[in-house]
Amino acid sequence: MLHSKTRDAVIFQIGLTIFLSLILLTILIPFWRVIVTAFIPLDIYTREGVPFLLPPTQWTLEAFKQLLGHSMFPRAAWNSVVITLLGTAISLALTVPLAYGLSTRNFPGRKLIMTLVLFTYLFSPGLIPVYLLITGMKLTNNYLAIILPPAVSVYNTLVMMSFFEGLPEELKDAARIDGANELQLLLYIILPLSKPILLTIGLFYAVYFWNEFFTPLLYLNDNNLMPLPVLLRNILISASFNEYVEYDAFSSASLESLKAAGVLITMIPMFLIYPWIQRYFTRGTLVGGVKE
Amino acid sequence: MKNWKMMFVVVLLVLSQILAACAPAATPTQEAAPSAATEAPAQPTAVPTATTPPEPVDITLWAQATVTEAGAPPDDWIAYQIIHDELNINLTYVIVPTGADGEAKMNAAAAANDLPDLMQMVPANEDRRGALYQMVNLGLLAPVEDLMPLMPERVKTHYNDQFAINLVTFNDHQYGFPEVPPLPKREGLVIRKDWLDKLSLAAPATTEELFNVAKAFTEQDPDGNGKNDTYGFGGFLNGPGFGTRFDFIFGAYGLPGVWNFTNPSNFGLNVRDEKYPEAVAYFKSLVDAKVIDPDWPTLTRDDFRARWKQGSFGIMWEDFAALTNKSNYTPFDENFPDAEWIPLPAPKGPDGDAYYGVFTGRGNIFAVSQKAADEGKGEAIARLLEWIATDGYYLLGFGQEGVNYVLDANGNISTEGIAKEKSWNSPEMQPFTQLRNQLIFYNSPTEIAARYPSYQTINGRTMEPTKFLDFFQNQPWVEGRGVQVILPPDNAADFNRFYDEGLIQFALGQKELNDETWAEYLAGLDALGGADYAASAKQALIDAGLLK
Amino acid sequence: MRVKTLTIPPEVRSTNRFDFRKLIRSMWRQRWLYFLMTPTLIYFAIFKYGPLWNAQIAFKDFKPLLGVMDSPWVGFKHFETFIHSFYFTDLMTNTLIFSVAKLVLGLPLAVICAIALHETWSVRFRTFVQTMIYLPHFLSWVIMFGVLLVILSPGNGLLNTIIERFGGEPIAFLTSPHYFRWVVILSDIWKETGWSTILYLAALLAISPDLYEAAAVDGATPLQRIWYISIPGILPVIVLVTLLRLGHILEAGFNQIFVLYSVPVYSVGDILDTWVYRQGILQFQFGLATAVGFFKGVIGLALILSANRLAKQLAQQGIY
Repeated sequence: MLHSKTRDAVIFQIGLTIFLSLILLTILIPFWRVIVTAFIPLDIYTREGVPFLLPPTQWTLEAFKQLLGHSMFPRAAWNSVVITLLGTAISLALTVPLAYGLSTRNFPGRKLIMTLVLFTYLFSPGLIPVYLLITGMKLTNNYLAIILPPAVSVYNTLVMMSFFEGLPEELKDAARIDGANELQLLLYIILPLSKPILLTIGLFYAVYFWNEFFTPLLYLNDNNLMPLPVLLRNILISASFNEYVEYDAFSSASLESLKAAGVLITMIPMFLIYPWIQRYFTRGTLVGGVKE
Repeated sequence: MKNWKMMFVVVLLVLSQILAACAPAATPTQEAAPSAATEAPAQPTAVPTATTPPEPVDITLWAQATVTEAGAPPDDWIAYQIIHDELNINLTYVIVPTGADGEAKMNAAAAANDLPDLMQMVPANEDRRGALYQMVNLGLLAPVEDLMPLMPERVKTHYNDQFAINLVTFNDHQYGFPEVPPLPKREGLVIRKDWLDKLSLAAPATTEELFNVAKAFTEQDPDGNGKNDTYGFGGFLNGPGFGTRFDFIFGAYGLPGVWNFTNPSNFGLNVRDEKYPEAVAYFKSLVDAKVIDPDWPTLTRDDFRARWKQGSFGIMWEDFAALTNKSNYTPFDENFPDAEWIPLPAPKGPDGDAYYGVFTGRGNIFAVSQKAADEGKGEAIARLLEWIATDGYYLLGFGQEGVNYVLDANGNISTEGIAKEKSWNSPEMQPFTQLRNQLIFYNSPTEIAARYPSYQTINGRTMEPTKFLDFFQNQPWVEGRGVQVILPPDNAADFNRFYDEGLIQFALGQKELNDETWAEYLAGLDALGGADYAASAKQALIDAGLLK
Repeated sequence: MRVKTLTIPPEVRSTNRFDFRKLIRSMWRQRWLYFLMTPTLIYFAIFKYGPLWNAQIAFKDFKPLLGVMDSPWVGFKHFETFIHSFYFTDLMTNTLIFSVAKLVLGLPLAVICAIALHETWSVRFRTFVQTMIYLPHFLSWVIMFGVLLVILSPGNGLLNTIIERFGGEPIAFLTSPHYFRWVVILSDIWKETGWSTILYLAALLAISPDLYEAAAVDGATPLQRIWYISIPGILPVIVLVTLLRLGHILEAGFNQIFVLYSVPVYSVGDILDTWVYRQGILQFQFGLATAVGFFKGVIGLALILSANRLAKQLAQQGIY
């Protein structure tokens, strides 16, 4: 894309680059330390803790090996994938129609539905009422107990609604004149144009489900169903309580390394997915709908 | 179109997982139909029949794991098979997380009246008897005194302490199984002997000497590395006030712990005693002189342990196993092969008092849900527990003989000839003995010899963990098991915060420590109901027959 | 850019009395809309309002054996316990300070970063920064505590080493009531800003490039472009996010504070949720936590309504 390279514009770019680089540095420096912690050999860690700079020649994969080699790891990772995919699919399937509906400018009952939805955002009942509902529905030990209660986030719904509202009205009118009903309008016109927001909200849901440890811990009793974050949480907080244990379950990597490695492992999928999503985050995705 | 393929895949995934998740896995979540109605207080089960019933009984056990991070035993664990075949029980062992997560899970299940058949009390604040009491009051637990005669061997080894049984008895019914507490009095003071030697100091015996030694450790570079990176003391907060790990300081003034058990006629909060502010002042002097690692208010246990292994401080309070057991000591040993920790006796205060701390004797408590009793599972539960204490003892505690351990000539556990990764104390075998700290071990000499064996350090010294244990156990401790009958006040969060916050503020110098401010602190405690709390605590002790 | 107000369809409003048939007709015209929304509305009824029905235990002395319906009423007892508790004002102050500071400092920063990214010419640089900037969001606070300890520890922490080298006294950031709040606020901003920029970036991308081209033709400077096109373009999202965050103003970040706080900083760090945690969870007080949830909701509602009115006046944006 052509940019007019006026002097002002170039100075502006330089300013931007400096600003963003500073932000990047602030983000990365502590983050770097976490990475180093994940790779640090046990003897160096015991001797001097984690230095900020460690030459990569001394890096070790012990922590990762121990985690990935954990007997439950493959199973837990698979469970996480299932929960995330299932959860994201269900969440999006429920969120999109509501967001789209609410974005329609005037129809009877919009205000009522909006109020009902917003009410649930403000008044969140908390752990016990939800738990009572789930056990009442006999959904304990079932993935649906983890997925359904948080499936529609009002925050995500309203953000998505805001995007749909921003779509040019002429587009919708043109389609309506052509005889399309709302469903066809949504599926064939609105959604293809809404890739950025769908991907964004989908990402939000996916990250939520991927990282969720508390509800699985609460509702699942079968160890074979436990997702990855539960496994990692057990490692993360375990030593604080294993007072009366004479043996470490992990002996060749320090606990700090394991925690750091665990966090990094959880991050890898997001790290891989986001660039893929970014392809869709290009300018003017909306252009081309209405040609005069 | 791509979209349709995607949708198809998603729908397929959705269906498959709904089916998979709904299908009852190995977990039987639904118990048999409840039998006839209960009369309150509930009748425990009938006398067991001579023949085992034809249908296996499903029992769900919720308990913590000894090594949380190692995970649960696999579905094909031989113990499950044996329990099924020999006891006619389908056992489901659900691991309850440690800490607040586990407590949330237990509380939620209690709220939904969906408690498992046999469960461990898992409150995050370790007040297990309090949690038991609450659940009994809610009518969720069944009396178990009729089950005790069904497990004679287990009662002999595990439930032989009448005091503990009294603790879990309410309204003349016993509501829990009080397991044997972990080794009592197992923590204590230790000091770096090599640092003492380097600085030509004697081991301190009084609080004053302790201060001077700590100062020397901080300022005189005892590890000889030329850097000013050592501290005298290290510790972290663990419990009310300054926690149990600094209790030796208050013990030197005769006032360890929260309650005054040293002087039963004068029972009350220790902070009311006139010597308490002196003890706080002593602690403050340590902080002011910077001889204590300044992160002590925020450190977690992990961080603390990492630090002593890095040689950050020379005096500390530690659990004997966490210090001396081979897997825990080895990283330190590799760092400092010439270092040596020796135990330190309780330092004497200005008036000659000396206590290590308060012995509270808290142990695990298991309970049976009222629902399970109503369904007639009590007898099966007793059978299970008895088996665990007899035939199942070695299997659940150590593994299979010949595979994970061998018994030597004296009947002691040994790993002679066992492959390293199969040995009972290897990381790989941890999932198979997750119940050992919960239901199996009762501190028998065999166990102690097996769990805390002697070994050689890198420079050839013999390290004997049991020596440390003996030393600690022989120190003066205050008998404070009565603390278990004391129930927290209604405004526990506020009271505890005020109690803790005030003390820490004095120690850190956030608030000046003088007679006036101390009086204000005590007055504040009273304003939050301190006097009533102490009075009801005293009454609870009297009612339990622990105080006259 | 749309003006967001609810307009009542003229068909319904025109007559003075309620015209039933016109209403039915207009509903029929929109029937697909209702059809679309029905599954989600059913979901709401079950999974959002179902628990709200159970939440009546906030007004009851809930007994598991009696269930929600049969447990006795106690009215506002839990609320009173909570509001009259010793530290109530402390807790409210701390909660609000954290929440407002995180909003006021964090949101603008996220918007600025998004705009900066959007304006960058180099696609490679932009992609690189974009991919890195959100990573801290995935670090759990337990890990972060370790990192913060290393940086802020008064013993050997990085910052204090630097301070000492300049001749200063080491500061115990994590345990000092003076600094703790800043530690919490800044570390949260550090962790979450990158993630928040994702949303604003997506919003910026939805602005039609035609507008930017027209501006370029008119000779607008970058700053003018930002002020007249970018910001108004994403204003709906900004206002929406602000309103929603105000609705949850009493959520100050339990996970973070629980890991970072300690007794010395209770006075500045203890928030509603940590208090509820210590009080409610320890004593089977099932109704208390629910009551606090209600309380938070009421405050959030009041805030969102007033803020909505303000936003409508100032920026012609709003939820209603």
